[in-house]
Amino acid sequence: MKTKSDFPSINERPPEGLKEDGSAFSVLIVDDSMFVAKQIGQILTSEEFKIAGTAGNGEEGLEKYKEMYPNIDLVTMDITMPKMDGVTALTKILEFDKEAKIIMISALGKQDLVKKSLMLGAKNYIVKPLDRKRVLERVISVLRQ
Amino acid sequence: MRVEYINPFVESAFNVLKEVVGGELTRGDLYLKSTTHPVLGITVIVGLAGDVEGSVIIDMSEETALAIASVMNGEELSDFDDLGKATISELANMITAQAVTKLYDLGFKFDLTPPAMITGQNLEVSNAGVETLIVPVDMPQGKIEINVAIRERG
Amino acid sequence: MDTAVNQTVLEEAGDLQQKIDFKMVTFRLGGKDYGIDIMKVKEILKGNKFTFVPNTLPYVAGVYNLRGDIIPIIDLRKMFYLPGDVKKHKAQEEVIILRLADDLILGIIVDSISKVQGIVSDTIQPPHPLFGDINIKYIAGVVEYEKHLFIILDVERIFSETAESFEQIQPTGEKEKKGIIKKAAAREADYNFVVETLRTFKSFYVSDLNRKWVENRFKEWRTFREDENKPIQLADPEDAGQYLEKYFSPYTNMLWGADYKENLLKLMPDPPEGMFNVWNPGCGRGFESYSIASIARIKYPESPFKIWSSDNDLLSISAAPNLQLDRNEIPDYFFKAQLIVEQDKGCKFIDAIKANIIYEYHDLTHNNELPKLDMIIARDILSFFDLSLQDHLLTDFREHLKDGGILILGINEEISGHGWYRLEQGNIIAYKKDKT
Repeated sequence: MKTKSDFPSINERPPEGLKEDGSAFSVLIVDDSMFVAKQIGQILTSEEFKIAGTAGNGEEGLEKYKEMYPNIDLVTMDITMPKMDGVTALTKILEFDKEAKIIMISALGKQDLVKKSLMLGAKNYIVKPLDRKRVLERVISVLRQ
Repeated sequence: MRVEYINPFVESAFNVLKEVVGGELTRGDLYLKSTTHPVLGITVIVGLAGDVEGSVIIDMSEETALAIASVMNGEELSDFDDLGKATISELANMITAQAVTKLYDLGFKFDLTPPAMITGQNLEVSNAGVETLIVPVDMPQGKIEINVAIRERG
Repeated sequence: MDTAVNQTVLEEAGDLQQKIDFKMVTFRLGGKDYGIDIMKVKEILKGNKFTFVPNTLPYVAGVYNLRGDIIPIIDLRKMFYLPGDVKKHKAQEEVIILRLADDLILGIIVDSISKVQGIVSDTIQPPHPLFGDINIKYIAGVVEYEKHLFIILDVERIFSETAESFEQIQPTGEKEKKGIIKKAAAREADYNFVVETLRTFKSFYVSDLNRKWVENRFKEWRTFREDENKPIQLADPEDAGQYLEKYFSPYTNMLWGADYKENLLKLMPDPPEGMFNVWNPGCGRGFESYSIASIARIKYPESPFKIWSSDNDLLSISAAPNLQLDRNEIPDYFFKAQLIVEQDKGCKFIDAIKANIIYEYHDLTHNNELPKLDMIIARDILSFFDLSLQDHLLTDFREHLKDGGILILGINEEISGHGWYRLEQGNIIAYKKDKT
């Protein structure tokens, strides 16, 4: 696991994952790929975000969001998943909590679904392969809204 | 296979592998097989639908898969476990997704189904009988073959 | 037996064993045992595929293709007028292939080959006239071994260039020189060799499809080469290319001219209900496909059509969907029919034409999933497949065609056989699928 000390530039500014009061932003990762979930986790953890939990499909994601409510600050949502896909889960979480902040994670080629998600209330999206800088930019922009 | 489909797969295989694995890559000569038949050991299948039906199969040896998964995870994996499998599945997904995007820009509407990973030698694949394009890529970690089997619909 | 004598016999046998300095291939001929110095023997085989060569002596059984070399086969029994075993028709003959001075290779048919026998050369005795059925001058010696008498033939002498003649015991025997065998075999060999090199250098397979043309061309070629003082043989791919120059159909590797278009228009059937499907395997850079599509557009202004084009040359076919040509590479009728778009860099076909052609990188020996076809245009491609593939592809073509559908092959390719009706229209020959 990469930490602050692995990234020299970070030592010059506070980690992005911390709120003004010093506590960490809490993130729920919803993705059916262990690899992608791990990647997102690593990027966020390196900036001191807290990974509240991981879910392998939309249904599990919805359940965990409800369980941990109101302590989830951000959800990363994979679009293509078994059982309940990301777009459906997005809708259901927003039904439950209209203030929920959800970023869609998509593979290239799913533009239509990304557009649909944004129209349904997703705050932003990130395209795979994941680029650390872009992930952080989008996450931060959503959290600072 | 339709000529217009070829470059998108060749380019995306090369681009994605270059980006997520890196190192010295060389493209091998393309060739055709009468049926899709993965032979190297670890296989991931991504389905194609839309204007065509068929599949994209990424084929490599377990050794290569382990080495590549290690690079992608930034750590040395000792076994080809769930994390390794998830990593290679994601690789297959990325390659196919990028190709599908390029094809979309050319006017061909393809869709892809989530990847399925199978491990084991000498697999029979359901696209038996569909002529397959083989895109070989040589990497420091070993050889990867991308099998593209596409049937025009209608 | 006395052990002392035993010992001596064994010792002698041991001594002899060490002194073996001559090995011979032994065989039966006309009821007697013969031997040939193994140093003169190249190999042994059983065969019966000897190509008969006319105008040679009766003891020349024919010529044989020994892995690409054409060698004469001599029936030794006939040559020496020996009573031969009567082999059943089609039975395999036993042949000893000899390599003689000046690298002369030939084969001799014998009754049966026995084995390689090692002997001590000291035990070979000079021949006695009473021994042989054959002229004493062809016998190098005789040797007894294990109660058999072997007559060792001097094969160099028998077949040497400088021998005056093959003297036969029969007084009225013709005195022909060995040269005649060579010459007749050589002419046959020349043609066969050209056939072999066409395959080697250009992957061109001679078969019923193209044999007539190849044979006619051979006569022309022989004269041409003699005039140029060059050997008949195709020495390299350039020679083979020159030989095949005249094979190819009109307008190869270019858009079809107006005369060809007129002829094709006459051959094409009335539009069917639904899609008019054409298969163009071996389309290369697309010249044929664009020509077919344009002519189809001219013939069927209202009907939909599709050209299925394929090739296994990826480099060529990759360029086909976006083929760009100079104005002067395009016959007028394409412009008149408004099928060309002119741009600064060159000319291309209009989208409406391009949309009707599907170019596929495809290996013909693999499955394809084509609909039933109205027309197949496969010019000059079948000859570049081996014989079994040629058959397979023709069958495949036939299966894919609708009844009454048309197959156009190369101008010098022909099919004869049931179920095809030959049509000729100017510089196009087509075959219509008859119901069988």
